[in-house]
Amino acid sequence: MAPRVVVVGLASDFGCQVQITNIEDHLLEMLDVIDLGYWQLASSGHMPAEYDIAVVEGAVTTLEHVELLKRLRKTASVVMTIGTCAHTGGIPALANRCDLDAAYSAVYGEGSDVARGRCAPGPVHSVIDVDYQVPGCPIDTDEFLAVLSKALQGLADPLPGDPMCAVCKTKENVCLLDRGEICLGLVTRTGCGAKCPSLGRPCTGCRGLAPDANFDAARKVLASKGFDPNELDRRFDLYNAVREGVR
Amino acid sequence: MSIITVEHVARIEGHGTIHVELEGSTVKDVHMEIIEPARFFEPMVVGRRFDEVSLVTSRICGICSPNHAVTSLKAIEDALGIQVSERTKLLRKLLVYGSYLQNHATHLYIFSAPDFLGLPSVFPLAETHPDVLERALKIKKAGNELCTLVGGRPVHPVTAVVGGFTHEPGADELEAFRDRLLALVDDAVVTAQLFDSFDVPEFASSCEMLALADTEEYAVYDGNTAALEAGWNRPVQEYRAFIDEQVVGHSNAKHSTSDGRSFMTGAIARVNLSGKQLMPRAAEALASLSTGAVGKNTFLNNVCQAIELIDACERCAVYCDRLVAEGGTSTPVKYEVRAGFGVGATEAPRGTVYHSYTLDDDGFVLSGDIITPTAQNLGNLDADMRAFAPTVAGLPHDEFILQVEELVRAYDLCLSCSVH
Repeated sequence: MAPRVVVVGLASDFGCQVQITNIEDHLLEMLDVIDLGYWQLASSGHMPAEYDIAVVEGAVTTLEHVELLKRLRKTASVVMTIGTCAHTGGIPALANRCDLDAAYSAVYGEGSDVARGRCAPGPVHSVIDVDYQVPGCPIDTDEFLAVLSKALQGLADPLPGDPMCAVCKTKENVCLLDRGEICLGLVTRTGCGAKCPSLGRPCTGCRGLAPDANFDAARKVLASKGFDPNELDRRFDLYNAVREGVR
Repeated sequence: MSIITVEHVARIEGHGTIHVELEGSTVKDVHMEIIEPARFFEPMVVGRRFDEVSLVTSRICGICSPNHAVTSLKAIEDALGIQVSERTKLLRKLLVYGSYLQNHATHLYIFSAPDFLGLPSVFPLAETHPDVLERALKIKKAGNELCTLVGGRPVHPVTAVVGGFTHEPGADELEAFRDRLLALVDDAVVTAQLFDSFDVPEFASSCEMLALADTEEYAVYDGNTAALEAGWNRPVQEYRAFIDEQVVGHSNAKHSTSDGRSFMTGAIARVNLSGKQLMPRAAEALASLSTGAVGKNTFLNNVCQAIELIDACERCAVYCDRLVAEGGTSTPVKYEVRAGFGVGATEAPRGTVYHSYTLDDDGFVLSGDIITPTAQNLGNLDADMRAFAPTVAGLPHDEFILQVEELVRAYDLCLSCSVH
């Protein structure tokens, strides 16, 4: 029997779920090998009691999300996250840099009764164990299919550890740091094929921190190119406001 | 009294619950509860540099990300006094229309069509109507690939930056895409015919309609905001003066009014206000609708989106030709960073989106304000549900709920946008 897959969205822009629908050429083939048990974005129906793989998009921002994740972990044999929000907390975790109570009052007014039950935004792995991750904002559809295939077959899928610069060099791109732009490829996990620098835009760190990255050395590189070295940390916050273990 | 709730309404973008209170078959109350958690984009952009703003705000919505990116770029450029080139504008319009093709095809075929075909989702069409599903995916894919051609990927454009583009497509790619768009016109026409053939309730919303309008062309990028009934036409810079936002108890998204009235924005508002500027085949489709004029039947937002699909294919083919023929550059223009306040507005697939930012001397954001199309439409959706639900409350339960859901889906809501 085809493994039953549920797709669940937490706090996000739905962009990674949209990317799943963007697999136009392979969408139907994909549906041949899985039983898509629940996908609110595309289909009516309720979440089934039993399922094998839970695909989770979005950051954890409410107590309801926490409960939902615990339930998913208990039921599914495999939990897979898609996108930066689920992986690092992403843009939603930037809210950790704000005074949330003040933000709430600014948006809804003092003493309002809506949008309660929030918690400090964070990644899915801060609440439950995660088996597979597809990083990136948004996910790349080919990478999603590759990771889903591995999840279906029970194969390991270690994320690449080296920084993006390594791949960017192989694309023969002129280094953006040398063109006067701060690029975060020095510390960002590779796997995207250096998409942004190849299109002339600096890396903004959406795939998270490369485990092999050396932040201290990267700051020195920035300083040597005439930039404020603290800009590395400030800019990296964009998708990585809740990071641990930065050297 | 009985209370019906439809939780996590399917086939809409985001999480919302329909709440109906019935006494016998009399509707006592009906509204849409927005349970999508608050996202705080406005406080989150505070302290970010001007050139990071579009990266953040693009993430408001995975469907209309090109619109949020372009709109915030326009607002930042307004604040910094930057004039972009005509070529940059053309490329940005292609991004906007790429999101129209993608959004409208997704909304019409994947979200709405199952209602009219009596299906839970679009997937069973693979067996019963493979041609329909194929057409849906073909249009959607063209939208994605247009965004990829210009922006580097379907969701969250890479190349669009303050002042211009970091990369643009070659003439051969633009010419190839022009041919593809022209070939797609017939598919879009068939889409309009299909949605015109679906029975929709006779219904007239009591609302006002707002959209950008421009003397030059069907407005999606430039223009003032125009009001259909009140007849005014005001610069988008004044948007705070003509749109009021209110916090309502049942929704994590605010509601909006203009001159004290709820209003609708989106394809139906655009077609009403700018229908005379549609491209030929789109105009022909509009003129031959079985319902006559679209007027204020909000269910006809679907068919208006289909007409915009035709228009988008025809118009973007012209833009591709112009980009090849006219030359010029989209390389970001030179600018000075300074303090200032700026407003940007565009027509996203679901309606007008407004962004404004105040920058300090070093170009860091002091405050930001964003009004999304769905945040504008939600008040009117509640008003429409209150007017419409009693007219179908006598139907069997499932049919009653389906009709109310159809109204909800006709709005093409984006709830994650609405709680930005």
